[in-house]
Amino acid sequence: MNKAKFIFNQALMISTSILFCMGVRTAILFFTKGIDMAGWEWYVPLSIVIVGFLCAPVSLLLLYDDQAKSAWTMRLRICLHCLLVFGIVSLSGYLFHWYSDLAGFLVVALIYIIIYVFVWIATTWILKADEKKINDAIDQIRDEE
Amino acid sequence: MKVTVNKTDSYENESAVINAVAVTDDIRHAIDLLRNNGASIPVVSDGDTRMLMASDIYYIESVDKRTYVYTKDECYGTRYRLYELEEILGAGFLRCSKAMIVNIRKIRSVRAELNARLSAELLNGERLIISRGYVGELKKKLGV
Repeated sequence: MNKAKFIFNQALMISTSILFCMGVRTAILFFTKGIDMAGWEWYVPLSIVIVGFLCAPVSLLLLYDDQAKSAWTMRLRICLHCLLVFGIVSLSGYLFHWYSDLAGFLVVALIYIIIYVFVWIATTWILKADEKKINDAIDQIRDEE
Repeated sequence: MKVTVNKTDSYENESAVINAVAVTDDIRHAIDLLRNNGASIPVVSDGDTRMLMASDIYYIESVDKRTYVYTKDECYGTRYRLYELEEILGAGFLRCSKAMIVNIRKIRSVRAELNARLSAELLNGERLIISRGYVGELKKKLGV
């Protein structure tokens, strides 16, 4: 059940990020070149959800594992996860016509990297905040050494 | 020692305050009784069985269907399963992985790891992993 929940959460998070990427790209195209892409093809919203669910198993495979791993192994897994998800997003973007030229691909790639880094910074910040709260609470009840 | 008992309307509001010059063995025993309902478990060491106070336990581990109880610097065997010990030992203990229970009061500090699990350092310097799935339970027990 936890794995199913994890896949669903990841799919939701990745789909939202892709939607955000494409939204920003659409806004950039509109304000810089005057191209109005608000009227997306019928399959685009569906393709975003599908890609979310395609990427989720990669997260499950690389990030869900709870066994003891060193910090470096975890960092390596995160880098691999970043590259694999980017590969899936890029290929799907090409197949589903999310971008039509190299410039469009580069914009999507740049936004992807920004979002990926931002998500991990936010995650680390939340984890550290939790760590501090837990340590403060433990200080109150800890036995004498 | 003067003892005062005030009635309260719910179990959640129950608390005890001890004002003492020093924490003697008697007071420590009273604290153990109040915290763990005086819980103790039979453990086996070198063929001898003895009762071990819950407050002496650091963590309990299940390995190959055998259960081991760890104190500051000793290890004992016990016939109980982890789920049975969870019930006996009560709220001061946390299931931190499928095969381990830790005494929350023996945790010196925790460190968050990138995959959302916690690395806990115990008072005796040992390190344990609190799996992602049990971090929520720890926060709940600590009221965080």
